[in-house]
Amino acid sequence: MAAATEPLPASPDAINDDILRVLEPPSKTYVLGVLFCGALVACGVSAFLYQVYWGFGVTGLNHPVMWGLYITTFVFWVGIAHAGTLISAILFLFRAKWRNAVNRGAEALTVFSVLTAALFPLLHLGRAWKFYFILPYPNQRGLWVNFKSPLLWDVFAIGTYTIISILFFIVGLIPDIGAARDRVRDWRRHLYRVLAMGWRGTSEQWRAHSRSVLHLSGLATPLVLSVHSVVSWDFATSVVPGWHTTIFAPYFVAGAIFSGIAMVITILIPVRQAFGLQAYLRDVHFDNMGKLILITSSIVGYAYGMEYFMAWYSANPYEQMSFWYRGFGHYWWATWTMIICNVIVPLPLWFKRMRVNLAFMWIVSIFINIGMWFERFVIIMTSLSHEYDPAAWGYYFPSWVEWTILVASVAFVLFLFLIFLRMFPVIAIQEVKELHYEEAH
Amino acid sequence: MAQVLGILRTPSATAGAVRELRGAGFEKLEVYSPCPSHEIEHALDRGPSRVRIYTLVGCLTGVTLAYLMQIWMAYDWPLVIGGKPFASIPAYTIIGFEMNILFGGVLTVAGLLIHGFFLTSRRDHSAYQPSFSGDDFGCVVDCHDDQVGRVREILGEAGCAEVRVVSA
Repeated sequence: MAAATEPLPASPDAINDDILRVLEPPSKTYVLGVLFCGALVACGVSAFLYQVYWGFGVTGLNHPVMWGLYITTFVFWVGIAHAGTLISAILFLFRAKWRNAVNRGAEALTVFSVLTAALFPLLHLGRAWKFYFILPYPNQRGLWVNFKSPLLWDVFAIGTYTIISILFFIVGLIPDIGAARDRVRDWRRHLYRVLAMGWRGTSEQWRAHSRSVLHLSGLATPLVLSVHSVVSWDFATSVVPGWHTTIFAPYFVAGAIFSGIAMVITILIPVRQAFGLQAYLRDVHFDNMGKLILITSSIVGYAYGMEYFMAWYSANPYEQMSFWYRGFGHYWWATWTMIICNVIVPLPLWFKRMRVNLAFMWIVSIFINIGMWFERFVIIMTSLSHEYDPAAWGYYFPSWVEWTILVASVAFVLFLFLIFLRMFPVIAIQEVKELHYEEAH
Repeated sequence: MAQVLGILRTPSATAGAVRELRGAGFEKLEVYSPCPSHEIEHALDRGPSRVRIYTLVGCLTGVTLAYLMQIWMAYDWPLVIGGKPFASIPAYTIIGFEMNILFGGVLTVAGLLIHGFFLTSRRDHSAYQPSFSGDDFGCVVDCHDDQVGRVREILGEAGCAEVRVVSA
C-alpha cells in the first residue's frame, strides 16, 4: 500500500481544531438523523415484543428452514465488524500508515456491529430470556454445555471479539479524550476528565500505551481471522449440501473483510463531506480501501466459482442438486443479486480513476452491502430449503416482523455511530499527528 | 529541589533535549507529548514496557483455564459416545484459543492501567498544560536549586520555545 503523499494541515494544533470541531453543537440535520434512526429502532423493538407475545409463528420460519433472516443478519453484522480490526490491527502490524485516518471510524463501526450482531442469536431464540443457558454456569442439574458444538465455539468467539474490540477501541481513544478534555469547554469536559483517567501524554503513559496497542493488535489479528472461521463452521461442520466444504473459513473471512470495508466506505464518505474532513480522509484512503475491496471481491468471486466446480467435480448428486437449485431454483433472484453486487459491480475499481471517484465508490459500497447480505441469505436458505429428501423440501420468505428487525438493526448501528460522532473524535488525533511529524522529519 | 519546564515544538527537538540533559547527568526527566514518538522513547532509554509480561501471563492463564474448564466439565457430566474418551482435546482447541486471546487482551489493558495510570498518578504533574495535547512538547527536569541555570542553558540550546521554572 502506498503511504499517504498529500500534505496534512500545517500545524498539529490545527489537527486538534479540525477533528474536535466535529464535537461542536449539532446541526438540525444531525438531530433529525438521530431521531429518525431512533424511531426505526423503536419499530424494531416493537416488532420483537410482538414476536415475544405471539411466538415464533409470526416469523417466516418453519420446517425445513429453521434458520432465516435473523441468522443471515447475524452473520452479516459479524462480517461488517471485521473491517475495524483489519484496519486497526492487521494494517497496524503491516505498518500501512494510511490507516491512521480511517481506523477510529472503522473501530467504532466494529464495536457497534458486533454488539448488533450479538443481538440476533438472542432474537432467534424462541425464548430470548433463556439465552444464559448457552453459558457454562453451575446449575442445579449439574449439566454443562457441549464444548464440541460449533454453536458454543461461536459464543466464545463472538464474546471474545466483542470484549477485545471494545478494549482496543477504548485504549485508542484515551489520548484523544485527553485532547478533547483540554479543548472542549461545555459540560462534556467533566465527562472527558473522568474518561481520560488522568492522561497527560507522559513518556511512561505513551510507553505503556504503544506496547498495549502493539500487543492488542497482535492478539486481535488471529482473533479476527478465527471469529469468522468459527462462524463459518456453524455451517461447515454440519452435513448439509452446500455447507459441508473446507473452503468455508477463508471464504467467510474474505467476505467479512469485503463487506466490512464496504460499510466503512458507506459511512465515512458522508462523514467526510458533512464535517469538512477532506484534509484527513483523502483520496489515498479511498484508493487503498478500493484495492482491498478488489482483492476480497476477487477471493469471494473465486469462492463462488469454486463451490460450483467442487459440486460438479465431487459427482455427489445432492451437492450438484443443491448448487443447481442455488442458481436456478426458487431463490435464483437472491443468488444473482449476490453475484452481480459482489463480483460484477466492483469490477470498475480496477481503474484508479474510479477508486478516487467518491460518488462512485459510495454507490459501489452500497451494492456490496446488499450483495453480502444476500450472500448469507443464499447460503442459508438454498441449502436448508432443499436438503436430501424431496418430501422435506420447502420455501422460506421472511415475514414483516423479520424485515422490520433487519431495518431496525441498520438504524441501530447508524444511531450509535451518530451519537459516537458527537461524543468522541472520529479520527485518531494522536495517530494523525504521529504521521505528521514523521512526514515532516 | 526545583522543577524546570522547557517547551519544544517537535519530537526530534525534544529527543535532542532529553539526550543533552541525560548527557549532563540529569536523569529525573518527564516528557509530555501529544503523540507517541520512538525518538523520544529511544532518547529516554527506559527499556520495554512491563505490559508485555501481563500479555504473556494473560495468554497462558487463558489457554490453561480453557482446557482445564472443558476437560473438567466433560468428566463432571460424562457423555458416553461409542466408547470414546469423554474429553475431546482437538475440539477444545477453539475455545482454548479464544480464551487465550481474551485473557491476554484483558490483562494487557490491566497492565496499561497499572503502569500507565495508577502507578504514576501520584506524581507531581503541576507542570502539565493543555497545549501538550495540542502541538507542544514539554520536558520537565527535576534538579537542585543550584543546577537551574545549567538546565535552563541546556534547554535553551536544545531549541526550547520557552523555558521556565515551575517550582522552586
